[in-house]
Amino acid sequence: MDLLEKIRILADAAKYDVSCSSSGSDRENKNGGIGNASFYGICHSWSEDGRCISLLKILFTNICIYDCSYCVNRCTNDVERALFTPDELADITINFYRRNYIEGLFLSSAVYKSPDYTMELLIKTVKKLREEYNFNGYIHLKAIPGADVNLIRLAGLYADRMSVNIELPSEKSLKLLAPQKTKESIIKPMNFIHNQLLEKNESKKLMRYTDKFVPAGQTTQLIIGATPESDRTILKLSENLYKYYDLKRVYYSAYIPVFNGNNILGVASPPLLREHRLYQADWLLRYYNFKADELLTEEEPNFDISLDPKINWAMKNLNLFPVEINTADYNMLLRVPGIGLRAAKRIVKARKAAHLSYDSLKNLGVVLKRAKYFITCNGKYYGECKIETEKIKNKLSTNKNRILDGQISIFDIDNSLNNLPIIV
Amino acid sequence: MVNYVFDGSFDGLMTVVYEAYYSHQQPNDIFSGSNHQINFLGHDVFVSTDIDKSNKVQDAIETKISNEALRNIYYVYLSELDSSYMLIYKYIRLGFKIGKKLDYFIQNDIVHEVTKLSQRVKHEAYKMIELIRFKEVKKGLFLAKIHPDYNVLPIIMPHFAERFQDQYFIIHDEKRSLSAVYDKKAWIITDIPLENISKVKDTKNYEILWKIYHKSIAIKERKNMKLQMQHMPKKYWDMLTEKQ
Repeated sequence: MDLLEKIRILADAAKYDVSCSSSGSDRENKNGGIGNASFYGICHSWSEDGRCISLLKILFTNICIYDCSYCVNRCTNDVERALFTPDELADITINFYRRNYIEGLFLSSAVYKSPDYTMELLIKTVKKLREEYNFNGYIHLKAIPGADVNLIRLAGLYADRMSVNIELPSEKSLKLLAPQKTKESIIKPMNFIHNQLLEKNESKKLMRYTDKFVPAGQTTQLIIGATPESDRTILKLSENLYKYYDLKRVYYSAYIPVFNGNNILGVASPPLLREHRLYQADWLLRYYNFKADELLTEEEPNFDISLDPKINWAMKNLNLFPVEINTADYNMLLRVPGIGLRAAKRIVKARKAAHLSYDSLKNLGVVLKRAKYFITCNGKYYGECKIETEKIKNKLSTNKNRILDGQISIFDIDNSLNNLPIIV
Repeated sequence: MVNYVFDGSFDGLMTVVYEAYYSHQQPNDIFSGSNHQINFLGHDVFVSTDIDKSNKVQDAIETKISNEALRNIYYVYLSELDSSYMLIYKYIRLGFKIGKKLDYFIQNDIVHEVTKLSQRVKHEAYKMIELIRFKEVKKGLFLAKIHPDYNVLPIIMPHFAERFQDQYFIIHDEKRSLSAVYDKKAWIITDIPLENISKVKDTKNYEILWKIYHKSIAIKERKNMKLQMQHMPKKYWDMLTEKQ
């Protein structure tokens, strides 16, 4: 089989892994080698689905011993199979990198022969890149569930970031859809990487030089909509992962019905809008100091899909608004819909120099369309209606619905065009 | 009120600021020599570039205002807009008056204009860092062609020189006929014309592998060309291997 075929098959098989970021590492280019990592990450292209391409995201092989029903590569599925060699992959990575196509390699794999055997193949590839090619670009490596922790440790010395995908947000769903994987086999490597990172941090305090161990930390991915978990369950899980495992990111992947899985609940089309709302909520957790319990309650465990989570929250807490732009503290500014991280920082800076007028807020990057209902400027309210849930909601959702309808109808057209398989 | 004319270099512009400051002659306008037509009505002063004076002005900006202000000024200069020189002059004057807090005055029109323009230049430089595509035109020699709106070569070269330390490469700005050349030790920007630049081809077949990869990695069910275009504006498509 030639290289062209291999790339086609194994890129196609890797596309459902959503992680692509190349951030969090500041690996330098040493001894006149090739490549370095940019701390904030760099995207180099965007594919036709609008997702960015930063790393060469590819599987080592899609030949799998497992039969997880949500997965396109399950052994009972009739798809083309292919297998790289470490040399081929290292060569492609370097040559793509030299042409500025990519920021590095994101190497994952189906479980080929055994978890340990697969992990060894991945390590062989990245070792070649680091040691033979003197490659200092970004490497994201998948920890294969069930692989020996010593192999994970070794892999971590070459990788900038590692990830173990949880995929299914509860143990029950895992048993149902991936009976050969256990919760244990997923949590164990995650826990191990976390402990190694803690240990490294400790020894950094004592020693001047320590080997790099996954400097960009670890991430994971959850599939949305294949199983019946609520938004609240998912968001709470993410919150705990950030808190107890120090994950850098949790990715959400709207489940795309792949051929004919048997156990899966009826999923007609990928819940893209729900995925979007979860990402927005995830940002609120990581950058805006929100708690999952503030955003979703047991009584209302799912997001109102027509409003973004921040507006949702503001509606339920209208007693805290309006907020005076010239005096409110940074944390409260962050909670105002229409004010993002950058705008909040600029407001705090700019008001040291002069009192802020309503007109100047636009220059500071505030989205007044949303923010005007929740703020006062020098004591004056510009919201054109009383601060009452229904009134504001009306104003905001007329705006919103237009956009929403547009999005939904685009999906509908797409679905009918592509004749998406519907699973019952 | 006089018109200052300088040679178009950054040091030249800084010398203008120096002269205007010490001669107490406020500029009516500032022109870059290359596209200035002598105006018989106005009073033109030709300023010859003086590195020492330029350095003095730059040092003063850094110590009296901020590093960020100096970077903003440089980026605005690289926009090459005719109006940018006077804007820079006004910004520096304001900065010397206000001092370190200049960047807090985002409400001020001059500061706002400078920040906006500087961000636009920075944004395009960043797009180039993302989207430049090299071709291996001879064994071991890589070439990329670009045509940015702003003169971003000086901003992006340090990035590529650090990254591709073991690689000979040239980035050619077609719009300005400038080439940035890196020889594994240092880089320079030159206007020496390159031969046969229009016909260059990649001598290896990784381009076809990249195109196949690019196609395979997209999820058909999520197709969203608008989003793709938002990040990869059409004006750059002719640079992109995957779009040819």
